[in-house]
Amino acid sequence: MTDNHPFGSGMFQGQAKFVDYAHMNQQEVQVNTLDEPVLDTLLRDINMILYKLSYVIIPRMKETQGRKLRNWDLWGPLLLSLLLAMTLGINSNQSSDTIFGTIFIIMWGGSAVITVNAKLLGGQVSFFQSVCVLGYCVFPINVAAVVITFLQSYFGFFLRLIIVGVAFLWSTFSSLSFMSSMMNEEKKVISVYPIFLFYMFLSWFCIFI
Amino acid sequence: MDFGIQNQTDEQQQANKESSNQNVNEGNKKQTGFCAFLTVEFYTPYFNVTETDVIQRIQGTFLPLKPDFLNLIRGNPDLWGPIWINATLIFMITAIANLRQIDEEKENQSFVISYVPQATALLYIIAFGTPLVLAAVMKFLGVDLSFFQTICLYGYSMSTLLPITILCYFQNELFLWLIIVYGFANSSLFLIINLKEELDKLQIQKKYIIIGIVVTMQLSLYLFYKLVFFSYVTE
Repeated sequence: MTDNHPFGSGMFQGQAKFVDYAHMNQQEVQVNTLDEPVLDTLLRDINMILYKLSYVIIPRMKETQGRKLRNWDLWGPLLLSLLLAMTLGINSNQSSDTIFGTIFIIMWGGSAVITVNAKLLGGQVSFFQSVCVLGYCVFPINVAAVVITFLQSYFGFFLRLIIVGVAFLWSTFSSLSFMSSMMNEEKKVISVYPIFLFYMFLSWFCIFI
Repeated sequence: MDFGIQNQTDEQQQANKESSNQNVNEGNKKQTGFCAFLTVEFYTPYFNVTETDVIQRIQGTFLPLKPDFLNLIRGNPDLWGPIWINATLIFMITAIANLRQIDEEKENQSFVISYVPQATALLYIIAFGTPLVLAAVMKFLGVDLSFFQTICLYGYSMSTLLPITILCYFQNELFLWLIIVYGFANSSLFLIINLKEELDKLQIQKKYIIIGIVVTMQLSLYLFYKLVFFSYVTE
């Protein structure tokens, strides 16, 4: 099915499989995407990103309800990582380019390393699905960073700590509800600890805006 | 007719046996070949630990005078510890070094991000480069310690830095130097005492080469720690 698609790469494969539009079936979505106006494509992608974000905002504990997230895409994580890196970079007085670069690398490199770690420990994870989930779950930290940026003068250190702490717990809990089902049973703690470290690292940057 | 069926079942049995042999072989197949170390499967046997194992190994590093560590990891050296202990350390260095420099009155402070690449380079080069050098030297001198056991030993010795980093939050210079010296002594003793068993089989001069390498690298690590990350904060 996806062999017919001219852009048969994994990213588009994930998008074309996402079925939630106006009762179209998969073949119809396949055929129409090449001829449709650009606005349609953009709106469809944005809708898909928002749909996945709704899964992040309301963490679902049961794994079956998260099945829609298996249609991984990397647009969401890309937008979120750019937003986070820009927010943190703009707010620093010096070396904003280093901050931008470091956050970007930490996010993508960190997701990759966590996925490889889970695989090495015997988990049944698919690489891009896991990177996608980890990327989307950065959304609460993004919200915290933007909130702290705009209301900077009103927030003392302690209040920032609370906001960032809430965002961190939300992100971790969200991603755990997907990731933990894919991990090896007896090595769950050491598979999950890197995720905890990853979100802690990203949240810590927000305290210092 | 009977023979036909018999033959078929014989062939089927043989085919089944072959395929099951193949499955067993594929499961046990160690990746061979020059570029085997680039595959994920090459490293899977080195992640065969659970959290209780990891905690036990970390606890072993805090009591350097009991040379128990190599017995703990014998046959099952793991790579999880070295990689993630160092990652934790990078986070802690960045967090605490920045916390330390917060000053409520000053207006234009910003986050010092340069600790992240510096810490990454320092920790990972020492945690993985030194075992590489050590293992090569030891192989050359005839010590029987595998490469991954050395990495495991070295990586876990970094866990001494975990409480030290947290304690480095305080601004008192004397206290910082004291705990740095304690950390240096602890991790060097840990490494040397655990290597002692293997090293005793060698002559005196060769032993000192290895001890010298170990001590030098630990010294440079701890000095770098103090002078770059937690240097004197002017009030």
